[in-house]
Amino acid sequence: MRNVKFFGSIPATRSKFGSHYGEKIFELEGELYREWTPWRSKLSAMLMKNYKVEFLGNEKILYLGAASGTTVSHLADIVDEGFIYAVEYSAKPFKKLLELAKNRQNIIPIFGDASKPWEYSGIVEKVDLLYQDISQRNQVEILKMNSDFFLKKKGRILMMVKAKSVDSTLESSEVFSKVLEELYKKFFILSTDTLEPYHKDHIFVYGVKD
Amino acid sequence: MSYNLWFGNFNGDVEPSNNLKRSFKSAKNNSPIPFNISELGMKVLGGDYYNLLRKTAIEVAEERVEKELKSDDKYVIALVKALEELEEAINTLKEKKEDLEVVRETEVIGEFIEGISSLEKLKSKVEKEIEAVMERIAPNLVEIASPKIGAKLIERFGSLENLAKAPASKIQIIGAERSLYKALARLRKGKEAKMPKHGIIFMHGFVRNLPKSKRGKMARFLAAKISIASKIDFFRGELEEGLYESLKNRYEELRRT
Repeated sequence: MRNVKFFGSIPATRSKFGSHYGEKIFELEGELYREWTPWRSKLSAMLMKNYKVEFLGNEKILYLGAASGTTVSHLADIVDEGFIYAVEYSAKPFKKLLELAKNRQNIIPIFGDASKPWEYSGIVEKVDLLYQDISQRNQVEILKMNSDFFLKKKGRILMMVKAKSVDSTLESSEVFSKVLEELYKKFFILSTDTLEPYHKDHIFVYGVKD
Repeated sequence: MSYNLWFGNFNGDVEPSNNLKRSFKSAKNNSPIPFNISELGMKVLGGDYYNLLRKTAIEVAEERVEKELKSDDKYVIALVKALEELEEAINTLKEKKEDLEVVRETEVIGEFIEGISSLEKLKSKVEKEIEAVMERIAPNLVEIASPKIGAKLIERFGSLENLAKAPASKIQIIGAERSLYKALARLRKGKEAKMPKHGIIFMHGFVRNLPKSKRGKMARFLAAKISIASKIDFFRGELEEGLYESLKNRYEELRRT
């Protein structure tokens, strides 16, 4: 992945900025890298499991469920010539995200509800990648709505699903196959897998808008 | 068609905003915008587009976050109080309706039924709102204790902060103060006394579904986890994976033995 190097077995992103959440900083050939552990970030867990997500560096990304900006900070290192619209509706982690947005130049923080894309429809442009990491029952529906509003044709989705949040009464595998069934209708799935052992009961789904 | 964009209004031409913060806040549209707003925006604002967008977004978000942090748990508390009143009103009305039914068949009864059903609708609306707010301000508490119990605990302690700073033993018995003081009074007199094992948290499925002899153990464990959950919610506000797991394991363990 662009701007990513492995230090031993741990990935890190090349960064001009300091530590955001207490992660270690490595130096290599005069450049600084921020440690990106798979335990903290699901995208990093994907990398560790050898799944490829390629970036040119100038992508526009809509990130739903930015939380305090752990993964966003690394994505901002990766698409250092692009922009990330980071949506989060919970005030406390958002404060941390704001700090990050103030330091960087390519993060646009939106304090809003991802299940109501119309509320930020006049702010977010058409994007190349829709990233979703929210734990809500109707997260597939939320993804679809945001895709209709903002995702370019042939744009990509990257979705993290937590079985228990979608339906706590079903077995994880049942939840996942239901989610995928829904997604097949609108997206071409490039890859999907669990995030074990880094994140229990989670899968990622990587796809393209048909 | 007219579109509300963060830098102005568009209906064929752009009418630039003279107050970016205000237009940012009202940049809502019912349906997707059929063109790319950044392309249009760059024609209006030039190379400064992203700079202005970022600056405006930060300013607006900062204001909103501060406001919300100040008022969120007060809102939950007001909602919980309203919910309790509603529950009581519904129960009382149902009783009165039954009293009436015994005495006479009258059309008034129909009106009672209508009134009760509209109150029940209101009640479910309030419950949904509590869930939505709790999900935002205390995701861990919701995961461990459910939105309803979590909200009731916040209401009893007065704020999420107070709950986060309270000892687990207090969380365990809050809501059962009367039996606690009764027991303490008996102990003081040198008599035998039964200490309450649970208060509000008795509503939790994991406590209620166990046989009586194991509820105390479960309640103690649950209270400890609630204490941790509320601390994470208060200080960090992000969902912590694995917290629920250990609670469930403990429940399974107690159920089996």
